[in-house]
Amino acid sequence: MNFITKNSASSVIVLLVLLVFLMSISSFNHVVAQTDQTMTLQTANSAFEEAFNTVLDAEQAGANVTALLGRLNVAADLLAQVEMAYRHGDPTTVADNADIALTIVLEVKTNAYTAKEAALVAYQNNFLSIGVLSVVDSVLFVFLLFLVWRLLKQRHIKDLLRSKPEVTGNES
Amino acid sequence: MNLKDYRTILMTTGLIGILLIATPALSMVIDLPSREAFSELYILDHEHKTEDFPFNIITEQNYSVYVDTGNYMGSSAYYLIYVKFGSINDPLPNSTTATPSTLQPLYEYDFVLEDGATFERALNFSVVDSSFSSNRAIVKMIDVNGFSFNVNKQVDWNAEQQGFYYRFLVELWRYNPQSTNFEYAGNFVYLQLNLTRSTLS
Repeated sequence: MNFITKNSASSVIVLLVLLVFLMSISSFNHVVAQTDQTMTLQTANSAFEEAFNTVLDAEQAGANVTALLGRLNVAADLLAQVEMAYRHGDPTTVADNADIALTIVLEVKTNAYTAKEAALVAYQNNFLSIGVLSVVDSVLFVFLLFLVWRLLKQRHIKDLLRSKPEVTGNES
Repeated sequence: MNLKDYRTILMTTGLIGILLIATPALSMVIDLPSREAFSELYILDHEHKTEDFPFNIITEQNYSVYVDTGNYMGSSAYYLIYVKFGSINDPLPNSTTATPSTLQPLYEYDFVLEDGATFERALNFSVVDSSFSSNRAIVKMIDVNGFSFNVNKQVDWNAEQQGFYYRFLVELWRYNPQSTNFEYAGNFVYLQLNLTRSTLS
């Protein structure tokens, strides 16, 4: 009888330990999942900020960024949904939308970088051609003014000579 | 006019002419002072006007307004709009120190805007659960654009204005590329709401 009682007590203890162990594993998984979601959200947000900075650089270089901003807004909408899903504990929406947003953001970043490089080259070529034209036009203009100056000078000398009184000899 | 006068006139003409010819090249290197930079934030009613904002609201009734933002910062900007809910006693953002409200944001809009562009989104809300006692009202849960939030905001009867007053507060935040952080842009608007008992309760 004592043996049976001891066995029952041991079984209960083992069951309790197993239950506690299973509960701790379950909460650990939950913490890991939450951490994963947080990292996913942070990664997506960081990538978005990087892409936006690249688009800003492209804009400052003179590129047309309207289409790029349109694509970024698609990603921004998705990220806002990810944020809401994260706060409401919807891991599926977090993972799915964050992935799509990240794909869009990386595509925008690449395109923005290409647009920035193209805009810089176009700016340099434009500046060079305008610069050269300006120099040539300035030289031509100065040369034209020089010709006008010579003409005016010659006319002035002629007028001076014409108005010079004649010197005649003394009749003594 | 003598030769000296002609020479002065021609030199002056030459200098002015060279400046005019060089203007296109100079405009590419000289940064002229730009206009004042600012962002704008405003709310419109469900018909995109400013005439019919919700004011007396009841539980389980849907209401809709539009939140609009304009970017006049001189370059593209990345914005966040935070939607917050509070009682009439909760402090608003401080306009003097440009600090935001201490209320926790419930809902947010993320978007980027080109310089000179505007953004508009619907803000749909309803009070999902509330309760009333003789001189106190509690908003327990609200719904914003399909997402529910437990707010548990309590407010006492306002004898002066005869109602239970709450606010939907909308704040504009802007991303600073230098600090890589969002900063409160100093713009906010709010809807003042009077929670009333529905005729059925």
